[in-house]
Amino acid sequence: MEKTELKLLLKKQIIEFLNLTSLKPEDIKDDEPLFGDGLGLDSIDSLELIVLLQREYGIVIRDPKEGRKILVDVNTMVDYIEQNGTK
Amino acid sequence: MFYIHQTSCISPQQTFYNTAIDDLETPVNNRLHAVEPAYNDMPKNSLRRMGKTARIGIGAAMPLIKQVEGFNGIIIGTGNGGMEDSVIFLKEIIEYNEGLLTPGHFVQSTANALASQLSLASLNRGYNITHVHRGLAFEMAAIDTAMLLRENARNCYLLGGVDEISSYNYKLECLDGWYKKEDISSGGFYSSNTTGTVAGEGAVMLLVNNDKYNAVAKVVNISTLHTIVAMKMQQHLQQFLEQHINTNIDLLLSGENGDSRLLAYYANAENLLKNDIAVARFKHMCGEYPTSSAFALWLACKLISGVPLPAHMLKKGDSKTTYSNILIYNCHKGVQHSFMLVSKTE
Repeated sequence: MEKTELKLLLKKQIIEFLNLTSLKPEDIKDDEPLFGDGLGLDSIDSLELIVLLQREYGIVIRDPKEGRKILVDVNTMVDYIEQNGTK
Repeated sequence: MFYIHQTSCISPQQTFYNTAIDDLETPVNNRLHAVEPAYNDMPKNSLRRMGKTARIGIGAAMPLIKQVEGFNGIIIGTGNGGMEDSVIFLKEIIEYNEGLLTPGHFVQSTANALASQLSLASLNRGYNITHVHRGLAFEMAAIDTAMLLRENARNCYLLGGVDEISSYNYKLECLDGWYKKEDISSGGFYSSNTTGTVAGEGAVMLLVNNDKYNAVAKVVNISTLHTIVAMKMQQHLQQFLEQHINTNIDLLLSGENGDSRLLAYYANAENLLKNDIAVARFKHMCGEYPTSSAFALWLACKLISGVPLPAHMLKKGDSKTTYSNILIYNCHKGVQHSFMLVSKTE
């Protein structure tokens, strides 16, 4: 899958998993921080994102430090999925 | 038992911002869904994760939480809790072989999710409990509140009754024959002469204490009964009325719901009362759900405080300008019966 296509798919999945019904994929910028000032996600959302990665891409994140590097923005998530995704 | 000071209600009618119950919202596909407000006071991150029970429950409670400095506990009655999320969570357990479960649906799926989130929203660390006795869940919550106030006379409690329509539960109850097969959206709620009723949902929140000063109404007595025998229900109501022989009841708020199987119970209640006592019905406004008696209690408070009784509610007798003593009788699935006497404060 092309990187642009993967980004769009991931944004759709983030919206669905986190029930961000007021957002459209185009509202989420590729380099917008997922937590804090960006999308404003919180700790429960981070667990939902970990479940998303495992269910949709077969990626298991066991080390919280590793998670912090992956769940930064859509770009970092897509890079990690391309390198480690098994589905 | 206790005095009601503040009330709030999210229901299928226009009851939240103001009480506009003359114009009736009618069922769609035999379901009366709650009219939800904008929830401007609730954090967006919490809101998007909430199931409907939590959303309407907290939404109804927020105006009360904002108005009072503090209360001593939260007591909620709910027959089904967050059923929609419970089902999603259970499906995930099967789908992912008990392995990979999202936390959101789990958090929302328990019956006490509402009371716990109300505690967080109000920073209340006091008594916090959820009663789940199906069609008597709200009554049990109210009796618990009365017992707490007997032990802690100066306390104030947030008492609520909340339930949602979930698609899963609606299907199950349809199969069990509790909802009408024919569409009665255009009318005929009480005159269809068929079994089943219309599904409903809603959230009522009340601030209650022992202080009669400035109270909206007083809940004088609540009594409950489990029986399928109409005669036993009639005897129970007779004893209840004998306890209040000096009270001039001026309105029976009947939980009649258009289900022909339950008519005998409601007819018994009407027959026991004097002929000149008016009878009003409310299930065409809120639909049938386990804690619909909370909606009836909210209505009683409104009628006592001078809101005119809409013509569509009146079954028998004439409407009055105000009511002083209202008897609420509700029957859930022909098994669980409740009687509440609500009076104007002197």
